[in-house]
Amino acid sequence: MKRNERAARTGSFLKAAAILAAGLFSGNAAAGFYNDGKVLLTGGVATIDGAGGGGITPWAVINGYGTRDGINGSLHYTYAYLPNYSLNSYGASVGLYDRLELSFTRSTLPTGSTFDTVGLIAGILPGVVGDTGIEPFNTTIEMDVFGAKLRLFGDAVYTSDSLIPQVSIGGFYKDNKNKDLLTTLQAAKRKDWEAYVSVTKVYFPFSTLVNLTGRYTSANQTGLTGFGYKDRTNGGSGKKDDKKEMRLEVSIATLVAKNTAFGAEYAQHGTSLDNVGVNLNGIGTGQLVGAITDALGPVTDVAGVSLDHLDDTLTQHEDDWYDLFFAYAPNKRISFVVAYAMLGNITLTPDQHGFYLSTHLTF
Amino acid sequence: MNRKSVTATLLAAALLSGVAMQSAFAAEEKTNPIPGIPSNSLEMWGGKDGVHEWAVALFHYIMLDTRINFLFKEFGNPERQIFLNTQLETMVLGGPNEYQGASMTAAHADLNINMEQFNAVVEAAYNACERINLHYWACNQVIAALAPFTDDIVTR
Ligand code: HEM
Repeated sequence: MKRNERAARTGSFLKAAAILAAGLFSGNAAAGFYNDGKVLLTGGVATIDGAGGGGITPWAVINGYGTRDGINGSLHYTYAYLPNYSLNSYGASVGLYDRLELSFTRSTLPTGSTFDTVGLIAGILPGVVGDTGIEPFNTTIEMDVFGAKLRLFGDAVYTSDSLIPQVSIGGFYKDNKNKDLLTTLQAAKRKDWEAYVSVTKVYFPFSTLVNLTGRYTSANQTGLTGFGYKDRTNGGSGKKDDKKEMRLEVSIATLVAKNTAFGAEYAQHGTSLDNVGVNLNGIGTGQLVGAITDALGPVTDVAGVSLDHLDDTLTQHEDDWYDLFFAYAPNKRISFVVAYAMLGNITLTPDQHGFYLSTHLTF
Repeated sequence: MNRKSVTATLLAAALLSGVAMQSAFAAEEKTNPIPGIPSNSLEMWGGKDGVHEWAVALFHYIMLDTRINFLFKEFGNPERQIFLNTQLETMVLGGPNEYQGASMTAAHADLNINMEQFNAVVEAAYNACERINLHYWACNQVIAALAPFTDDIVTR
C-alpha cells in the first residue's frame, strides 16, 4: 500500500500538464482528425449496399477503424458469381467519430443468360413489344446506393456486463438506372429509400458477434429489380403495391482468431414480384406466350426453352437470401471476405447460389 | 469527540488524501460479464503463473507501442504493474481476490486516456496471448472480464 499511496500522491496538476506536453510532442496527437484506433474487424466489413456490416446485412457498428475521436474512410469491391448473374458492387464510405457513417456504392449486375429469352422474344416481336430494356444477351442492371447510419447508443464491443447492445438507425436511397427493364418486370418504382435499425453485440465468452436488423423497405432483390409491384399490362391501370414492410435480417459471426471470422447471414426478402410475369409494352405473360406461339408457327422452342414452359420461364420469383462467410483481416488496411451466397430464385432464374468475394480497404 | 465530529473528521481526511483514500477502500471487485466466463478459465490460462507470464508479455508489447508507451514511461512502473495486473487478471478470471492496487478509476483518473489508447492495450493483450501460446478463445475470457472497466479507464 505504501507504494500505492506514493503513486497516488503525485500531484494531479503536474501529471496532467506532463501528459499534455507528452501528447503534443508525440506524432499521434499531431495527426488531427484521422483515426484508426479501433480493434481489428470491429468496424465490420462492407455490405453490398455499402454500409458497414456483414455481406448483406448492415450492422450497428460504424464502418472503418475510427474511434469516437476521429474519422476513417474505406473503399470496397464485391464480386458475386452466380449461375446467371454476376454482381459487382464498389464504393466508398466514411466513418465520423464512431457516430455517423456515410456511404456510396454502385452496383452493376450483368444478368448473363437470365433475360436472354426475354430479349430474344423482344427481338422476335419488335413492333409489338417496344423497348424492354432487355437485350438478347448481356443485359445489365445498374444501381446507385447512398447510405447513412447513425449510432444511437451502446457499445457493441466493450459493454460485456450489460445486455444493452449497440443500436444504430440507417437509411439507403437507391437509384436503379434501368427504367425500361423495371417496367418490363413490373416494378412500381425504380428509385426508393429504405430505413433500418440494427442492434449488434459481441459476446466475448463465446467469441461471437450477433446482429439483428429490421429493414423497412419495398425492395425487390435489394432494389436491383426495383421496388414494389405495379401491374403494367393492359394499359397499366391494374393493381399496385409499393407499400414498405419490415423485414428481418440476422448475422452471426464467430471469431476464430483476432483477424479471422466465419459466420452466416439471413435476409428476409419481399414477395411483391413473386409469381409476377413480365410485361412487354402492356402485354402480359399469358397473352405474350399466345402471340409468340402464333408468330413462330411450327417452331417449338426458343433459346432451348420449350414453348410449353415459356409461361413459367417468364414468371418471376423471389426468395430470402442466405450466406455463409469467411472474413480475414491481415491488418487494418485490408480485409477479404469469401462467402457462399444462397439467393434462391432471382427474377426468372432459380437456384442462384454461388461464390462471393469482397475486399475492403481502410485508411 | 462526539459522533458528528468523528464523521466530519473522517470526511475531511478522505477529501484531503483524495485518490489514496479511494484506492484503499475501492480495490477492485470481480466483474460480471454476461454470459459468465467458463469456470475453468483460470485453469485454461495456466493459473496465476500463466497470468504472470502473460502480464510480462503484455508489458513487453505495451512498451513497444508508440501510441501508448510514452504514458507508461512517464507514469508507469512496469514491475509494479505486472505484479498488480497478475493479481487483478487472476481475480477476474475466477481466482481469489488478492488485488492490492488502486481501483481502475483511481489508477487511471489523471491519465486522460482515450479510446484508441485503450484499444492499443487490448491489442497488446491479444499479442501477449499469442506470445504465450494461449488459445484465442481462452484469451477472450480476459477481454470479456476486463471490458467492464472500459468506462473507468477511458476518460476522454
Ligand atoms: C482493461 C485495461 C487496463 C487494465 C486492467 C489496467 C490495469 C492497471 C493496474 C492494475 C494498474 C496499477 C494500479 C496501481 O498502481 O495501484 C494500472 C496503472 C496504470 N495504467 Fe492501466 N490498465 C488498463 C488500461 C490502461 C490503459 C489503456 C493505459 C494507457 C494507455 C493505462 C496506463 C496505466 C498507467 C500509466 C498506470 C500507472 C499509473 C500510476 O501509477 O499512477 N492503463 N493499470
